[in-house]
Parts: sequence; C-alpha cells; structure tokens
Amino acid sequence: MSPTYAATPRGARGRSLALTGLLGPATVFLAAVLLVALCILLVNSAYHFTGTQVQPTLTFEAYRHFFTDPFYAGVVWQEIRLAVTTTAICLVVGYPTAYAITKIRRPGWVIAAYILIFSPLLTSSIVRAYGWLVVLARGGLVNWALLRLHLVAAPVRLLFDVTGVTVALVHVLLPFTVFPILSVLLRTDPALREAAADLGATRLQGFFRITWPLSFPGLYAAAQLTFVLAMNAYVTPQLLGGGRVQVLPLLIYENISDLDWPLAAVEATVLIVLVWATMLGSNLLFRRRLATLEDRR
Amino acid sequence: MSTGRPREASALPAVELEHVHKWYGSIHAVRGISLRILQNEFFSLLGPSGCGKTTVLRMISGFETPTEGTVYLKGEVANAIPPYRRDTNLIFQHLALFPHLDVYDNIAFGLRLRRLPRPEIARKVRAALELVDLVGYDTRRIHQLSGGQKQRIAIARALVNEPAVLLLDEPLGALDLRLRIQMQVELKEIQHRVGTTFVYVTHDQTEAMTMSDRIAVMNHGFVEQIGTSRDVYERPRTRFVATFLGDSNLLEAQVESSNADQTVLRAGAARLIGPADAGATPGSSVTLCVRPERLRFAGAGTASGGDDGNRLDARVRDAIFKGAVIEYRLVTESGARLILQAHADAARPVEPGAAVTVTWRKEDGVLLTE
Repeated sequence: MSPTYAATPRGARGRSLALTGLLGPATVFLAAVLLVALCILLVNSAYHFTGTQVQPTLTFEAYRHFFTDPFYAGVVWQEIRLAVTTTAICLVVGYPTAYAITKIRRPGWVIAAYILIFSPLLTSSIVRAYGWLVVLARGGLVNWALLRLHLVAAPVRLLFDVTGVTVALVHVLLPFTVFPILSVLLRTDPALREAAADLGATRLQGFFRITWPLSFPGLYAAAQLTFVLAMNAYVTPQLLGGGRVQVLPLLIYENISDLDWPLAAVEATVLIVLVWATMLGSNLLFRRRLATLEDRR
Repeated sequence: MSTGRPREASALPAVELEHVHKWYGSIHAVRGISLRILQNEFFSLLGPSGCGKTTVLRMISGFETPTEGTVYLKGEVANAIPPYRRDTNLIFQHLALFPHLDVYDNIAFGLRLRRLPRPEIARKVRAALELVDLVGYDTRRIHQLSGGQKQRIAIARALVNEPAVLLLDEPLGALDLRLRIQMQVELKEIQHRVGTTFVYVTHDQTEAMTMSDRIAVMNHGFVEQIGTSRDVYERPRTRFVATFLGDSNLLEAQVESSNADQTVLRAGAARLIGPADAGATPGSSVTLCVRPERLRFAGAGTASGGDDGNRLDARVRDAIFKGAVIEYRLVTESGARLILQAHADAARPVEPGAAVTVTWRKEDGVLLTE
C-alpha cells in the first residue's frame, strides 16, 4: 500500500472517535433511561399481583386477563378510533392550512399565522383542557350558539364524550400536523409549479401532479407524528372524557394507583407495540413511494 | 397604442414587444422595450444581472404581465394569456425537472395534459429523446442524470410540445465551461433541426455571440442595441454595449470637423481621425471606441500608410501571453489606458517598459455619442 493511504484509516478513526464523543452522552442516557426502563416494564408485566401487592414470580396472568376480558379490547378499539379520527381531521385541516401559509406574501402575516398555529403549544395542557370545558359545556359557548341559531332544540352533549376529546385533541395536535407538511412545502422549488404551468397544467392540475406527490413525505410524517401523539394522549381524554372515554394511558395511570403494576405494564407494552407496529407497518406499506421521493435533491 | 397596423401572416414576428414596461412596486424593471423576434430566429437577450432580461422572458412566457405596453405572439395580443395556454415553452434557469417523475414521465408531462393518445405520446417522447441523443434513458430518474443530461432532458421536455417559441433562461449557467461550450453548439444544432424560434437569456457575451442570429443588449431595463453578433461587436452604439461585449479602448475626444468621409477629433494633444458620423457635430464631445485587435504597433511593417494618421505614443506596462494572442496593456502620455491585441506569432514581441506608437485605421474606430 502506498504511504498516501496511511493517513486515511487514522483520519477515519479520528472521525469515528469524534462521533462517539458527540453521540456518546445522548446514547448512554437514552440506553439507560429507555432500554433499562423497557426491561423493567417487561419484567413487571409478567409478575403476579395478589390484589394488594406485586409478587416477583413469573406468571403472565396479567396478559391473560388483558387479552381475555373484552373490556380491554373495547378500550383499545376506542383508542385506535380516536387516534385515527383525530389524525384524519388534523390532516384535512392541517394540509390546506400549511399550503395557505406558503402562499402568504407579507412576512408580517406569515409570523401571525405561525403564532396562531403554534399557540396551542404555548399554553399548558391543563389550562387548554379547562378552556375547552368552558366552550363545550352544556351551557357553554358552542351549545349557546347552536341553540340561538335554532340548529338544535336542546343542548348537545359535547363534553365527557369522544366528540369533545377529539375536538380538543385536534386543537393540541394541529401544530404537529402543520409543521412537517409546511416544511416540505417550503422546500419544494416553486419553479416546478411554474414548469408545470408552462407545460400546460392549470393550477389544479399543477397541484395534483406536482405539489401533492412531492409533499407526500411531509404528509406522511405529519400523520405518523399526530397518530402517535393521539395514541399517547393523557390529559385531554382525562379531563374532557369525564371517565366515559377510556384509553390505555388512563388505564395505566389507574392501575398504577391501584398498585396493579403487572396490568399497567401489560397495558404499556400493548400501547408501545401498537404504536411501533403502526409505524413499521406504514413504513413498509409506503416504502416504495417514499424511496422515490427521498432522493429528490 | 397603435393597434390598427396591418399584419401579413407570413411576415408576422414570432414575438413582438411594444413599449413594454414592468414595475415591481416602486422598481421599474423594464422601461419601455420594443422589439420584434422573427420566426425561426435564434434571438438573445444579453445583459448583466438585474437588467430586466429575465423579466422580459417571463412576460413572453406569461408568468409576468406587462404593467404597460403589449406583448404579441404571432401577431396576437398575449398580455393576459396564462402560461398554460401559450404556445411557448420555457427552459428554466435551474431546469425545474420533476424530481418525482422519471425521464419518460417528465417529457410526456405536457403531452399528457393535452390528452394525446398513448401511442402518439410514446412516439413523440422517443423522437424527443432522439433529438437530444438520450434514447434508452426513459426510466432513469432525474437525480441519476449528469448535469449535461439533465440539460438535454429539459430541452426535450420543452421541445416535445412543438412550441412556436422556445424560451431559455440562462440554462447553461450551472455547467462547467467545457460542457457549456459543447451544449452551445448542440443547442444551435437543435435549433437548426427543429426550426423553432429560440429566445435565449444570458449574461455571457461569448455565449450570445456564438449562438444568436441577433442579440438585444440590455441594461437598466432598456434595450441598448439590437443587431447581429457582428453588428453589436463591431458597431456598438453605446458605451455600455462597447464595454459589455468584449474589451474596448475608449478615448474621450472633441469633434473638430466632420464630413462625408471622416470625422476629425482632438483628444488632448493628439489629433485622431474617426469614421464619418452624422451625429458628430463640431464641438461636441464623443467617445472613440477601438477594439484591442484593431490596434497595431506603428513600426517598420506598418509604414504602408494604413494608419490614416491615427497615432498615439504609449508605454508598455504589461504583456500577457494568451495562447493565440498576446495582450499588451499600454498607457498613453496623457494617462489613458489602452489594450492592444497582437497575434502571438508576431516577429518580435514588445517588452514591457518599451516606448511604442500605436495606430489604427479610421474605419476601425466607432464614434459613441452617448
């Protein structure tokens, strides 16, 4: 080997050393917190609960209980429905919002739009939930308006119901939907739309043939993020569900309060598996489509 | 505006601009441009960045609307026609190929929008790929292509629609010099083969001169001069044109007298003879422009009297060997700087520091009145 190459491995080693130094602390922290916690969780899920305390014997009876009692299947089903509905509404509302923001010309208005979109993140989730409580209550703003406009004869149940939870969840999660879509749209070269128009495409054709397919990765990321956050939501279903909207995070909290750690661990495991399965499944499903778009630059 | 003018179908210009202005807010980007681009012509808009050339191109393609004035396409007022309904196609500065589509789908894009039957689309795409010499690249993705290949696909994507006018917005800017020169030749060849009107925007004077039938030299939103490459190079009308297209020796002078044969000028102590010029009235200030390759050293070989009396004493500051030519940088006695270009095979190169006399024929000078 010629002496010129001798420097390369040393350089590469130096580089990987630097990388280790940079990534090391985060890796160690994540490994300790996440992996160790996951192991503890898995071990706990297999333990025995006497009704008052946890015994460290491997029985797996919490799993049996969870998967045989139809109550839990109902909760999981309701949770998935809630997350899917929330995600769908967020996408339907979020995509046009993001698209519209990219069309705003005046910098001042763009900033105003950003503040408006991200305002839900600037308030605590508790305050926000109580806000919705006021708005959605029997005598709240929405019902008052519906009654005054004679759209309904009697107040509608919005609170302590899936409807209210969905509305509030959409409100909190919308920024997480808008942002990935917005960033992809902003990265798309405006000349592409002009090129489409130049080749004979109307605005609508240009949108559906150029903007829409190119924004798919953003839409996809937004959907995943929104879905995951909706699945894991705790405060909103807790405060606005009024006990009628049961989801896994609520059950986990309840079971932990009851000291039934094995059942809580099983529910947590199921939640993690559900989320991961959805992510991996959708990644596989859209792998082709995403691959063609990723190398677009 | 005068619109009642008779227009004969055969003589219709492919593109015509009449007193066109464009304002962006308070910025006057295009300041009253009138020009005619003939059918099958290779026409270049040449000028520095910010001169309004791209704006003119975008008004022809329909992406901008003139604030004032009229754009005609084949004799029809086109001001308000949107880009997707114009018989023009634009090659964008950064090409704007669709990254999510392969080569075939990129080229077929316009044909599909016109709802042509599938076999016809396939036939036309193939012909377009043949035209740009990229047959067999149908399924390649855009990011797999080299710069030159992308360039050709962009040309194919535009020309496949058989536009009446092909507009090109500095499309070769991103290529390295060799590839650029090669693409210039190819573009010219393609234009010959398809016989479409090409309107080419560039800031590169060599590029414009290499390819164009005619050039419009633009500056500050105005057209300074329109003419063939030779016209604008050899007979520049303004100082800007003289300096933007290649090097020029500009000599400030006063007109002493003028007749049908020549103009007699005085520049400091020197008496110079320029070509006849109707605009040169005695007493007025003019600029005499002489190209570096038209200047010669007065000496033994040039005693034949070809100098018409133009003689300037100067000192050689620098001699730059440029391959085919040697470029001499000179300073005259009055402090004016001159450039003289001589063939590198000249018998004896002049050394820096030498005192020389330069001379030129009166018809090699051009009088610039603005």
